[in-house]
Amino acid sequence: MKKRILSLLLVALFVSALLFASGDAEKAKAASASKPLSVMIWDSNQEPGIRKIIDDFTAKTGITAEIQVVDWNNYWTLLSAGAQGGSLPDVFWMHSNESQRYMSNDLLLDVTDRIAKSAIIDPENYPEDIWSLYTYNKKYYAVPKDVDTIALWYNRALFDQAGVAYPTDDWTWEDLYAAAKKITRADGSVYGFANVNSNNQAGWYNLIYGNNGYVLSEDKKKSGMDLPATIEAMQWMEKMINENLMPPQAVMTESSEDVLLQSGKIAMTMQGSWMLPAFRDNEYTLKNCDIAMLPKNSKTGRRPSIYNGLGWAIAKNSPRTDDAWKLVEYFGSEEGQLKQAQLGITMSAYKNTSEQWKNSVPQFNLQAYLNMQDDMVIRPFSRNTVKWENAVLDVMLKVWNKEMTMEAGCKEAARQMNAILAEE
Amino acid sequence: MKKRSLRSATATQTFLWGWALILPTIVGLTVLNIIPLITTISQSFHKTGDFGRGNIFIGLKNYQKLFSDQAVLQSIINTLKYTIVQVPFSVFIALVLAVMLNREIKGRGAYRTIFFLPMVVAPAAIAMVWRWLYNTEFGLINNLFNLKISWISDPAIAVYSIAIIGIWSDIGYNMILFLAGLQEVPRDYYEAADLDGASIFQSFRHITVPMISPILFFVIVTRMIAAMQVFDTIFMVMEQRSNPAMYKTQSLVYLFYQSSFVERDFGYGSTIVVVLLVLIMAITAIQIIAQKKWVHYN
Repeated sequence: MKKRILSLLLVALFVSALLFASGDAEKAKAASASKPLSVMIWDSNQEPGIRKIIDDFTAKTGITAEIQVVDWNNYWTLLSAGAQGGSLPDVFWMHSNESQRYMSNDLLLDVTDRIAKSAIIDPENYPEDIWSLYTYNKKYYAVPKDVDTIALWYNRALFDQAGVAYPTDDWTWEDLYAAAKKITRADGSVYGFANVNSNNQAGWYNLIYGNNGYVLSEDKKKSGMDLPATIEAMQWMEKMINENLMPPQAVMTESSEDVLLQSGKIAMTMQGSWMLPAFRDNEYTLKNCDIAMLPKNSKTGRRPSIYNGLGWAIAKNSPRTDDAWKLVEYFGSEEGQLKQAQLGITMSAYKNTSEQWKNSVPQFNLQAYLNMQDDMVIRPFSRNTVKWENAVLDVMLKVWNKEMTMEAGCKEAARQMNAILAEE
Repeated sequence: MKKRSLRSATATQTFLWGWALILPTIVGLTVLNIIPLITTISQSFHKTGDFGRGNIFIGLKNYQKLFSDQAVLQSIINTLKYTIVQVPFSVFIALVLAVMLNREIKGRGAYRTIFFLPMVVAPAAIAMVWRWLYNTEFGLINNLFNLKISWISDPAIAVYSIAIIGIWSDIGYNMILFLAGLQEVPRDYYEAADLDGASIFQSFRHITVPMISPILFFVIVTRMIAAMQVFDTIFMVMEQRSNPAMYKTQSLVYLFYQSSFVERDFGYGSTIVVVLLVLIMAITAIQIIAQKKWVHYN
């Protein structure tokens, strides 16, 4: 009996050893040829389009790739766990909030030489600001994917019902306020405007820079949240909050701005150009909504758009950096970038491709987004952006929830931000 | 002489087999629990660098920061509030249901299945459904009863709304354990009590509860530990950074997640978890001492 058990165990051991060994051998073989490259992104709206571009790439080169979509919050958790454990995806999106940390820790593949040798990537063809997000010690660590601008989305039906004229390109923030006031209904069924506290880039950052304030100083050492110009700009938002022209914070946290627009709950909201697929694929917004430029600041006459651009990065320890580079090169090429624009995925970073994007959805006035490119300010970032951004958002939450005045909130945000910046 | 060596040979065999059989568990425990436990405790004395590189020893500084951190104190209160509501309700309702479903009634199997279903469904799916049930504007609860309550964004009630999800999810599991315990209670006890004129409540109080007290104790201890670690429902039902009720709802584990994985301060995150560990150990120790008063092992 005992012998039988022992021999059984031995057999099991041998079999498993054989299985594992052959498995390893197969793995090694597959890695060089048929195993798809792993690609990780966070925006499910863009996934179908990106998949099409990858299909074209596979048809050309025979290299396959698989997309994994992980939502924004979990994306960075997963990526940093992968970085720590040495198992990053081959190709993935980078964002200015995080790029400094990844580049300085040597986790991304340095693509400077490859760009220099490439016949189809020329840094001249992309905005310099976007390169700066992915440059560390004068080396490039990603290829620009897209640019974005911010514009004002409005619901024509709600404007008509209130008898208010649609937003024009000459609007100031006071005009927006007046329109919102007319459209907002006392019973809380419709609100004129919505900007949730956590929407900074597409939301209130634009107000601050329009009033010649800033969030982060040029040398990235000091917060500008307590500047008089910043506070003055933000007090416009305080007016919107306190006069209940926006839905209560509780409503905006449970249903995001895009959901509120899609359900006819709000008449206006500021949204980034990357939201286009979501509004295009929603029947209600496609029928009832349109886009205008952001309002101007009546004092300074400025109308900046806080912009950002993602980058396609490659893991430094990827076993197939050459194949991964071919994919990234294709994403960044004129052809890949044109496709991205034509498919209406996002505006592309490549010069002169935005006309194609504009025509991708004729129902919307996408020209408004293109016009916003005249005054662009790069989204503020430093080495530890996430940390101070979250601290500022948490303070703003109290202002939005009417627990704090805007002036006190801005000053408190600046205090916390400066403390974090001092540690960087 | 021969006999002795035979016995020792058997003893050695038993010894080896014993170890061989528990080896998988020991390896699993060591790799998945014990090593991480030691790493976590050691991390709590460090200022951790990016991606786990370049940790600097800073002694008790993380603990100093922790004891002056308002958010930590608040989240301990939140966690206790959740536990105090979630555990008693999920245990009591489950016990009553188990007693009712232990009798011969029609469709007993169907009822048992229905109550157990939440256990089978993926937590993420549960969270998504509850999120919409609770929605202030478009949620089913508010629309059905014509209410205007911000279930998960009002600081005064959000933690209880989260606890309701926890109660609902746990009832089935607790009920199955109680049902198993109830099989052990001899029917004659109830018959005798019945003859003596005891009411249903009296026999529940004086027969059922003492007879299944070991199971009851087990369920309370394990549920308490689980409740102290609540995280997933909060994380999935409430929006980060914009929910005004978050400060008054976030649990210790949620705070740990924020520190470790959002702000990437693993040192401080580990400190928070060590505090949670001590807290859970203390509560469990008290329960184990107190059980002598009310748990009857036959």
